[in-house]
Formats: sequence, structure tokens, C-alpha cells
Amino acid sequence: MRVIVIGCGEVGQHIARTLSAERHSLTVVDSDAVRVETAQSELDALVVVGNGASPKFLREIGVADSDLLCAVTHSDEANVIAALAARQLGARRTVARVRDFEYFGDDDSFARDELGIDFVINPERATAEDLAAAVVLPGAVHVEYFGDGKVAVAESILTARSPLVGQPLSSRRIVRPSFVFGLIRDGRAIATEPGHRPKAGDHVLVAAARGDIEPVVAHIAGRAQRVRDVIVFGGGRIGVPLAQFLQAAGGMRVTVMERDAERARYVAEQVRDITVLHEEGVSKQALLAHGVDRAGAFVACAGDDRANLLAALHAKQLGAGLCLSVVSREEFTPLVDALGIDGAVSPRLVTAEAILRAVRGPNVHGMYLLSGGAEVVEVQADPGCEAEGRTVEQANKQALTHVTAIVRNGRVVIPEDDVRLHAHDRLVVFNTRQGVASLDKTFAAAA
Amino acid sequence: MTPGRGRRGPNLNWQIIVPVVSGALLAVALGLVICFAVALAGGDGAAAAFGLPAAIVLPLAAIGVASGRRMRSMPLRARDGFFAVTMAWVAAAAVGALPFLLHGTYTQPVDAFFESMSGFTTTGATLLDRIEAQPDAVLLWRSLMQWLGGVGIVVLVVAIAPATGLATQRVFYAETSGVTAERLTPRIADTAKIIWGIYLTLTALGFTAYWVAGMTPWDAINHIFTSVSTGGFSTRSASIAAFESLAIEVVAITFMIAGAINFSFYWAAMRGRDRLWPQAAEVRAFLLILLAAGAVVTGSLLLAEEGRDVAETIRGAAFSVVTAVTGTGYTTVDFDEWPDFTRLLLLGLMFVGGCAGSTAGGMKVIRVMLLGRAAVQEVQRQLQPRAVQVLRVRGRLFSEEVRRGVFAFFALYLMVFLAGTLAMAAFGLDPVTAASSVVSTLNIIGPGLGDVGASENFTAVPEGGRWVLSALMLIGRLEIFTVLVLLTPAFWRPNVA
Repeated sequence: MRVIVIGCGEVGQHIARTLSAERHSLTVVDSDAVRVETAQSELDALVVVGNGASPKFLREIGVADSDLLCAVTHSDEANVIAALAARQLGARRTVARVRDFEYFGDDDSFARDELGIDFVINPERATAEDLAAAVVLPGAVHVEYFGDGKVAVAESILTARSPLVGQPLSSRRIVRPSFVFGLIRDGRAIATEPGHRPKAGDHVLVAAARGDIEPVVAHIAGRAQRVRDVIVFGGGRIGVPLAQFLQAAGGMRVTVMERDAERARYVAEQVRDITVLHEEGVSKQALLAHGVDRAGAFVACAGDDRANLLAALHAKQLGAGLCLSVVSREEFTPLVDALGIDGAVSPRLVTAEAILRAVRGPNVHGMYLLSGGAEVVEVQADPGCEAEGRTVEQANKQALTHVTAIVRNGRVVIPEDDVRLHAHDRLVVFNTRQGVASLDKTFAAAA
Repeated sequence: MTPGRGRRGPNLNWQIIVPVVSGALLAVALGLVICFAVALAGGDGAAAAFGLPAAIVLPLAAIGVASGRRMRSMPLRARDGFFAVTMAWVAAAAVGALPFLLHGTYTQPVDAFFESMSGFTTTGATLLDRIEAQPDAVLLWRSLMQWLGGVGIVVLVVAIAPATGLATQRVFYAETSGVTAERLTPRIADTAKIIWGIYLTLTALGFTAYWVAGMTPWDAINHIFTSVSTGGFSTRSASIAAFESLAIEVVAITFMIAGAINFSFYWAAMRGRDRLWPQAAEVRAFLLILLAAGAVVTGSLLLAEEGRDVAETIRGAAFSVVTAVTGTGYTTVDFDEWPDFTRLLLLGLMFVGGCAGSTAGGMKVIRVMLLGRAAVQEVQRQLQPRAVQVLRVRGRLFSEEVRRGVFAFFALYLMVFLAGTLAMAAFGLDPVTAASSVVSTLNIIGPGLGDVGASENFTAVPEGGRWVLSALMLIGRLEIFTVLVLLTPAFWRPNVA
């Protein structure tokens, strides 16, 4: 696949690295010569200096033959122009990062149908969505939805009170139909095996129908309570949509802490019925003064990873419930576990999820990237594919994957090993690294 | 203007002030012509009282307006707008007073001016003892003044006068100040036209309704002029009570409320646009206030006096509440005979008034809503000093400037009220009469309590007090700031922008 990535910042680099690792033919463009030089030394790709929004330049680097163009510069406008130009010049698919919500709002159909931009990604907003999903679902630190929202996959931390601790994992039913399919230990996601006995502190991955996920996760986490007070630390590009999502979810008192006075005012204007505090410090005293110790959830999503981690650490120590943090830079990720923070979300990973979905083609719908290279993806079983008519167990063996849930005719099935797969089934599949290449082979129609 | 004069005086731009004031006077003069025609047709001897001022003012005003026709868009500073608008109203009231003097309705200039100012500001306070004794032309003139003043004389000028760009905008905003001003269209002249279009439509509907309800066309035209403008002048001394008709009272209530609703609400409703719907919050609050007040007044009356007829009580309470809140000032029952609690409640309601951007008086519902919210936020701030607060009504944001403006407005309103009350007391009025006469004129209602109550008129007020009350009507009608600006020393200092 020939891919052009325009913009070589944090996001651009991450996409380039991921695509490069998947052995795509990659051209990376940036206007900054220094960045280009650094990137060239790190990537197995053609890296060039130039203006990615210029049609003339795009033609020169061969946009006409490209399968995908990702425009992820810092400028929304440049990204949109690049995507529009690329589409006109013959790129097969285009992805543009647009951070300003004002342009396309929640409905990207205008961008897709009228402008011809296949994906509009807003990393901050998507990150906020992930964070909000975790706060809203008691006991979860991360939730992703698949199959048009019918299937939920949640990551949950086992507490000492959890009934799963010390018990062998075998049942496909915890309160409701559900499947604990993965464990995250030492920063690596692994598939569960019947003999596994989880310990307190383990992160487990569980799949269930959307309507069942709440009791399942609450049970797993040891009678988790709904969050009533949530403190959002940082009213930036993530904090504002997060506050909006939480407010819209209802039943929560949302407090946003923002260090910049003008920005704090902006937040208060943007989101109704929340408390906005203009608070400059990250000190324990300041956090305590605003009731962090009584907060059911604390989400650090300021612009600075260090401040986020520090704030989340303070909050955890002061007794806040669920403590989540945004961690943008890869080098800080190991700190999350070390500091005892419940979960971290990275806008970089969120963006990569969206881009990879575009790369994988129309067969792959949802995607959830886990640490250590594992992923949960949604694929459709094409008529005539190898998996059709086989049992889940056989398909798993063949593709080296783990089918965790099936959406069949609009209904969710949590499959036992002997369930047979049909054509048009949408499968939520857990992959450790080996599975990636074999996915298409097993589930796509023979070419 | 010459630089030499500018250095000494307040440096006003007469080239814009003259056309604006002339435009207002032209409208007044045309009204005089109509009454002149009615007087001629009626043969009641009042023709000269209208013909003479019309003959003088009409050509002068026409010349003044024509001087503006040559004018292109020219810079107009805020002060010119304030001055032009205040002058337009004072001039209109002065000219409007002439027929009363010439006909002999009043012998004292102050009385004629009071009546005229009460007319244009749509207050509805009168010094007339026996209204029926006046010729038809004089009665029509009183109604017509209120109708012209209803949505604002200057709005009329802006609607009709040739566009003068920024200049008209300044003038428009000086007349409808603060939170009231609402721009419906890109061009302010179009906004003014829309406002007048809505006003004319309501007038036509109301005329028909009154007629159907049993009024003569003559009474119908007079009363719709003073209902939809929430003015309150009537052709009868007994006001609406004289008709003894439930149907007429219902029509009156309907059109008093219609006139007191934000005109941009009608515009939004007609166009079905969601963006303008925040006005709906004010309208809803306004209607809720009316309902709640009506219920409380009815309840208090029934409790105070056993054996009262329930239906009659509701009827009287509903009418009185609507007439007090909208600032119309019609009467059907003498609410001054009601228990003290109910009287005071009505007096308090007079402060609230109707919606912003309507013909009603008072502080305006939206200001009261904002004031309440801002005050609650101040209390909350004591608990959480670091909380950032924004002023919001139904999703619509109001700037910090509005917050300051609302507090300032309230403070000034109270000060003017207290100063006015003291002044009236100094003229020898008893406290209730003094306070209520100020409430009634500042909020452009009409009747007050005590000696200026519903069944009385303002003859109990001595001459000096009549001047003060006239001034209060103007201050209230132009929503405080516009007039008070002229009273600041800075306004009269030269070369201040």
C-alpha cells in the first residue's frame, strides 16, 4: 500500500512508524527541514521537505498513485486543503486531522460525502470520548464500542474484593453473558487461558453486549459505584469535550480546573451546568480544597504530561476514586503503572487507531490498540471466506486470534468455542501481535 | 461644525441631531394633521388647536429631515446618539403639548407637557378629571401619542428615514439600550421596518378584536392604540371598566400581553429559526410571572375577604396584574381598595415590567432574570472564590459587560426611585403616594396608589412634582442610561469621544 503522511509531528511520526512496521510503502512530508532529517534517520520511508497542501508538490511526490493520504500537520486548514487536493489528484483514500470542532462537528458526513475526505480525525475529541466512556462505566478504566455500538470491550482493574481473583477463568458468563478474554500484565496484553487465575491489581479485558457491560464490569471490579463527582484537571482541547460528554451523560457533578484565567472563562462559556475553577497550582492543598478526596473520578488532561501525572498521583494519594491521565509522549507511559495511576489514554494512539482503520481497508471497522502491540479489531466475515462455516475454535487456531463477540443480524452473541461462524457476521477479534497478517486471509473473501 | 465652537461646547454633531429630531417631529406633525382632520369633521372647535401647530411644525420638520437627505453616512459618536434621542423625545412631548394648551384642555404649560410626555412615553398618567368632556380630536391625540411612542419614535424615524449608515445605528441603540437592543437583520433600517410591521399587524388584529368584542370603531381604534403600546389612556374616565364587558377585557388583556412580548420573538417565531429562541425563555418567564402573580393576587383577595365572588375576583385580579406588569395602566377595579399586601405586590410587579424589546415599561423581565442569576452567583462566589462564572439564560451567553450593566442599571434604578420619592415627599405628598407616583412613572405604568390610585388622577401632585414625574417618565422610557448620560459633566466637556 502506498501511503503519504503529511506532517511529521508527534502524530505523524507515530503513524509513520506504525505503517512502516507493517511494511507499507511510505512517503512522509514536512515543511521543516530539521524534522525531516531526524525522521529520515528513524524511518524506513521516503521523507521529503515541502508544502503538503500544494497541489503541485503533491503531484510531484506521486499522489496520483497513492492508496492513502494522511494529512496530520498542526494546521486544520492545511490538512483539509491537502486532503481535498489529494482526492482531486487521484489519491484513493484521504484522512485529515481536524482539531477544531467548529468545522465538521459530530457528523462527518459532510466531509465524507460532499468534500470527499474519508476520515476526519480529531484526536483530542476522540481521546475525550474514551476518557468519558471510562468514567461513565463504573469499574472500567477504558471502554471501546464495536459493531455500531452494540458490543462493549472494557478494561477493568481487579480489586481485592473482586470475585474473579484467585478463581480459574472459564465461564462465558459473569452475571450476564460476557467473556474475559485478556489480561494485561507487566504492560503486555495476553489472551486468557482456562487455567489463568487473576490476581488483585491485574487489568482484565472483557467483552459483553452494550446493555450488559455495566453490571459485568461492576461485578468484576468488586461492586464498583457510579461516579457522582468528577474532577477534570485541565480545560484544554481534551478537557472541554470531556466535560461536555460527562455533563451530557448526566448524574454527575463535573468540575473543571484550569490554570489560565481566560481559558477557564472559555470553558465555562462552552459547557453548561458545570463548575469551572481557575486554579493555577497542582499542589495537594489546592486539590484538597476542591474536594479531590471525595471525587469518584479524577481525569488529568492538561497540556503537559508531567503536570497530568503529578496531578493524577496526588489525586490517587488523596483518595480520589478512578484516576486517569492523558499521556501524550511515549516515554512517560511506563510511569503510569509505576505511579499507580489507574489508566492512561494517549491522543497519539487514538489517532493511530483511526488511521490504521483506514489503512486496513473497508473490512476492518472498529479498532482498539493496546499496549505491547495487541489490538482489538472488528472485522466482517465475507461470504466465501475461509472462516465461514467453521467453529470459533477453528477460526481462532487458523488466524491466531480470539473471537470475543459476534454481532449477527443485529444481535450480540458471546460465543462458546463450538459456535459456527456465518457469512456477514461481524466479529470482535482480539489479536496479539501474530494475528495481524492472517486476519485478512481468514475473514476476507478470496481475491 | 466649526472647530471654534467645538472647543467650548459639548462638540455635538448637529448635522445628524437635527434630522433625527426633525424626523420625530415630522411623525408628530402628521399625527396632528390627522387629529386636525378629525376635528374638522367633528366640528367640535378643536381644529385650530391642531391645525396651528401642524402648520408650523410640519414645514420646519420637513426642512430638517430634508437636510439629512443630502447627508451621506457620517461619523456619529455615542454622545450624538444619546443627545439626539433625548432631544427627539423632549421635542415631541413639547409639540404634543401644544394642542392641549391651544384648545384650553389645560391652562398651565406644565400640565400639558405632563399629559403629552405621559402620552409619548406610554405611561398613561393623566391630569384630566372628566375625560368624556374632551372633544374627539383631543382624545384621539392622546391615543395617537401613545401609539407613536409605543415602539419608539426614533425607531420610526430609522425605519422611514433615508439610511445614514452608522448614524442610524447609534440612534437606534440609544433609544433601545442595553440588553434590549436586538438586531434582526444586517441593516438596522430593515430591523426598524420589521418592528413597525409587527406593530402595525398587532394593531390591525387588535382593532378587529375590539370591534368584534363590542366596541364602536371609534373606541376600538383609540383603545388598540393604547393597548398594544401598553400606554393606558382611555376615552373614558372609568377606563376599561366603563364598557362592563368581559369580552373587551379579554381582548385588552390579550393585546397588553402581546405588546409586552419581545418583538424579536415574533420575528423568530415567524421565521422558525432556532437560533433566536433564547427570547422564548424571557417570554416564558414573563407569562409565568403573570400566572403566578394572578394566582397570588386572587388568593390574597379571597383570603382577605370571605364570601367574595370567585369568578369576579379572578377577573379583576387578572386584569389588574396584566395592566400593572405590562405597564399599561388601564383599570377595571380599584386595586387601591385591596389589602395592603396585594397593593404592595402590585407595586413590586410594576418594577418587573414586560419583555425587553417590547412596548412595555419596567426593568424588563430579562434584566430581572439576569440580575437574579448574577446575584445568586455572587452568593456562590463566597463559597467558591475560584469558580469562574458566566451569565447564561437558556444556553445564551451574556458578556461580563452585560453583568456589569445589569447591576449598574439596577443601582441607578433604585437611586432614581429613591431620589424621586424623596423629591415627591418634599412636595408634600404622603409616603405611599410619593413612592407609588414615582414607581408608576419611572416604570411607565400610569396609576399608582393613594392619591394617585386607580380611581384618581395625578391632580393631587403639585406643579413642581409634575415636572419631576415628566422627567421620570422619559428616564424610564429610555431605560435610564440614555438620559443620565446627558447629566454627567463628561458629556458636556468638549472633545471627548
